[in-house]
Amino acid sequence: MKKPTIGIITNNQYGVFQRDTISGVREIAQQSGYEVIVDSLAEDPLHPRSVSLDWQKLTGVVAIANATSDELLRQIYESGKPISLVGHRVPGTPIPAVTSNNNQGMAELVKHLVKSCDRRKFVYIRGEMNQDDAIQRETVFRHELMRYNLPAEEMYFVRGDFDPEIAAASIRELLELQVYFDAVLAADYQMAIVAMELLQMAGIKVPEEVSIAGFGDAPAAQAAGLTTVSADILELGRRATRQLIGQVNGLTIQGVTTLSVQLMIRATSCPA
Amino acid sequence: MTASKATREQLRRHNRQLLLHAVYSGLADNRAALAQETGLAKPTVSDLIGELIAEGLLIEVGRGQSTDSGGKRPTLLQFVPDARQVIGISLDVDRVRGVLCNMAGKIIAQHHANLFDIEGHPVIDIVQHVINGLIAQLDAPLLCIGMGVPGIVENGSGVVQYAPQFGWHNLPLAQILTECYQAPVYIANKAEMAAMGQYAFGMPNDSRSPVVVLLNSTIEIGMVLGGAIYHNGGDISSLHISRQLGQHSETGRLETFLSWPYLKRRAELLRNEHPNTTLPATGLTFMHMQYAALHGDAAAITLVEEITDILAQVFSWIIAMLRPDHISLAGGIVDMGETVLNRIMAKAEALVQPELVQSVRFSLAESYELSALGAVAEALQNELGLVR
Repeated sequence: MKKPTIGIITNNQYGVFQRDTISGVREIAQQSGYEVIVDSLAEDPLHPRSVSLDWQKLTGVVAIANATSDELLRQIYESGKPISLVGHRVPGTPIPAVTSNNNQGMAELVKHLVKSCDRRKFVYIRGEMNQDDAIQRETVFRHELMRYNLPAEEMYFVRGDFDPEIAAASIRELLELQVYFDAVLAADYQMAIVAMELLQMAGIKVPEEVSIAGFGDAPAAQAAGLTTVSADILELGRRATRQLIGQVNGLTIQGVTTLSVQLMIRATSCPA
Repeated sequence: MTASKATREQLRRHNRQLLLHAVYSGLADNRAALAQETGLAKPTVSDLIGELIAEGLLIEVGRGQSTDSGGKRPTLLQFVPDARQVIGISLDVDRVRGVLCNMAGKIIAQHHANLFDIEGHPVIDIVQHVINGLIAQLDAPLLCIGMGVPGIVENGSGVVQYAPQFGWHNLPLAQILTECYQAPVYIANKAEMAAMGQYAFGMPNDSRSPVVVLLNSTIEIGMVLGGAIYHNGGDISSLHISRQLGQHSETGRLETFLSWPYLKRRAELLRNEHPNTTLPATGLTFMHMQYAALHGDAAAITLVEEITDILAQVFSWIIAMLRPDHISLAGGIVDMGETVLNRIMAKAEALVQPELVQSVRFSLAESYELSALGAVAEALQNELGLVR
C-alpha cells in the first residue's frame, strides 16, 4: 500500500533556509510514516517554473516562504487539502503557518545595540519586501527605533532584497555619500556579512566605529563573528510538519505558530 | 459513601500536590525529608512518590549524603518539568493568543489567530483553532488548559458571566472546552491571569500581593493574594469618574476616557486642533504618542497628560483600598515606557498620601503573553499546586 505523502513547494531546495526547513520536515514525516517529495521551482532564478506536484493526490502540502503564488496556496486550502506555510502568510485566508518570532528577535537585537553598544544612528538593510519575514522585521525595527527615541530617516533604509549583491551595491552607494552612521542592521545574516566586508575594506573599524548585526544564523555567521538572531530553522520545519499532520488527523487550525529565537552576541556589535 | 470517597480522593490529591510542590521548589529532595517537610506519614509519602514516579512527574537521580547520625544514604528525587505540557490562552478583543509551556513555564511554541468583528459561538471556534494549533505541537501529554478572558468569570465553575465584547452571558466555557479536549480547563478574568503571570514568572519572589492594571479595549485589574488569584477583580471599565478638561469638567465611564477606541478618537480631535502634529492619522500606537510627546508635539503631550491623569486616579484607588506591594501596568500602553509610569506615580502622590504611594513598587509588564502565561500558572496551581 502506498505511503501517505507530504509535498513541499519551495523556490530552491539548496538554499540554506530551505534546505534546513526541508530536513526538519523529513525528520518528522519519517517518524510519522509519511513520504516526502520536493518541488523546487526556481533553482535557476532566471527560469523559474510552475508547480509540477500533483497536489490533489498528496496527503498534505508544506509551502516554504513565497515560493509560489498566493492564488495556488488559496486554491489548495479551499480544496480541503491540509496545508501549512513556513515564513509566509496569505492575506485574507486562515491558512495556518509557522514562523520565527521576528518581533522578539528584532526587539532584542535593537535593545542590545542601543543599550549595550550605545548605538544611535542605524542603517537598515531591508529584505525582499514581498516576503512576510522582511515586512515584519522592518515594521518591528521602526517601532523599536521609536522606543529608544531614535528617528527613522528613510535614506538610511537601503535595499537588500535578501540578496548579498544588492545589499553590497546599497552599502557602496551609502559609503560614497559619506554619511555618518554607527550601526548596520540587516534583515538577514548574509547581507550583514557583506556589509561588514565592505566597511572593513573602506577602512572602517567593526565594531569600534560601526556595529554590524543581522538576522538568522548559520556557520558562515559564526565564522564571521556576527552578532545575530538565531532561529532554529530545522525546528521550523519540524513544527510545520506537526501542524500539517495535526490537520491530516482532523484538527482545524487557524493562525500562526511562532517559535522563539535567541540573540547571539558575538564580536561585531559592541566594542571591547 | 460518595462524600467520603470524594474526600479521600481530595486528600490524596492534596497530599500529592504537597509533595510535588516540596520537590519542585527545592524544599525537600528525598522521601524522609519530604515526610518531615509535609508532616505526612512515611508510608503515605512512599506510596505517593511511587505514584508520581510511575507517572513520570518525578525521577530518582542517585544518592544523597547520609545524615549526621549516619544511616542509609537517601535516594534523591527530581521534578521532571517536561513530563507534561500546559496550554495557556488569552482572549483579546481582536486576537486570541496561546502559549504551549512545560511545567516550569518554559514556552515551547506560541500561536495566535485574529478575530474580525465576530461574537458568540464563532469566537469559541477561533479559540479552539488556536488550542488545536498548540495541541499539534505537543511533545508530552497535555496536563491542562488555562484561559484568561475579558469580563467577569464565576470563580471555580469557569462560567463567563459577562463578556459584552463577544456577546457572552453565562457561557459555560470551561465545560465546553473540557468536553472538547478531555482535559481540565481553568478560566478566569484575563487581568487576574496577568497578575498570576507576574506573580509566577515576572517579579521578585518577595512580592506577596501584586496587582496588574491591564489597559486594552477595556480597563481591568487583577490581583494575587497569598499565592492565589483574588477573584473579585476584573473589568472596571464601567466605573464612573469625573475629570477636568481645560476649563470644564466632564463625567463618564472609565472606558469613555481610557479605552483604546476612545484614545484613537481623542487623538483625531487633537489632530484637528494641532494640524502640525506628527501623530499618524492611521496606525496610531502608544509608541507614536510617547515618541511625539518626547519631541514636544502639543497634541501628543495633551494626550499623554490626559491618560496619566486618569491612570493616576485608578492607581490611587488601588493603593488606598487594596494596599498592594506591587503594581504593574500591562497592555499596549507599556510601550510608552518608564517615563509614563513615573508620571502616573507622581500624579498619584497628589491624590493619596505620598507615603502610601512610595510603599508600593511599580513596574511595566512587558510581555504580550502575560495573560496566557498567567493562565498556564493558574492551571498548574490548580492541577499540581505548582507556583513559585
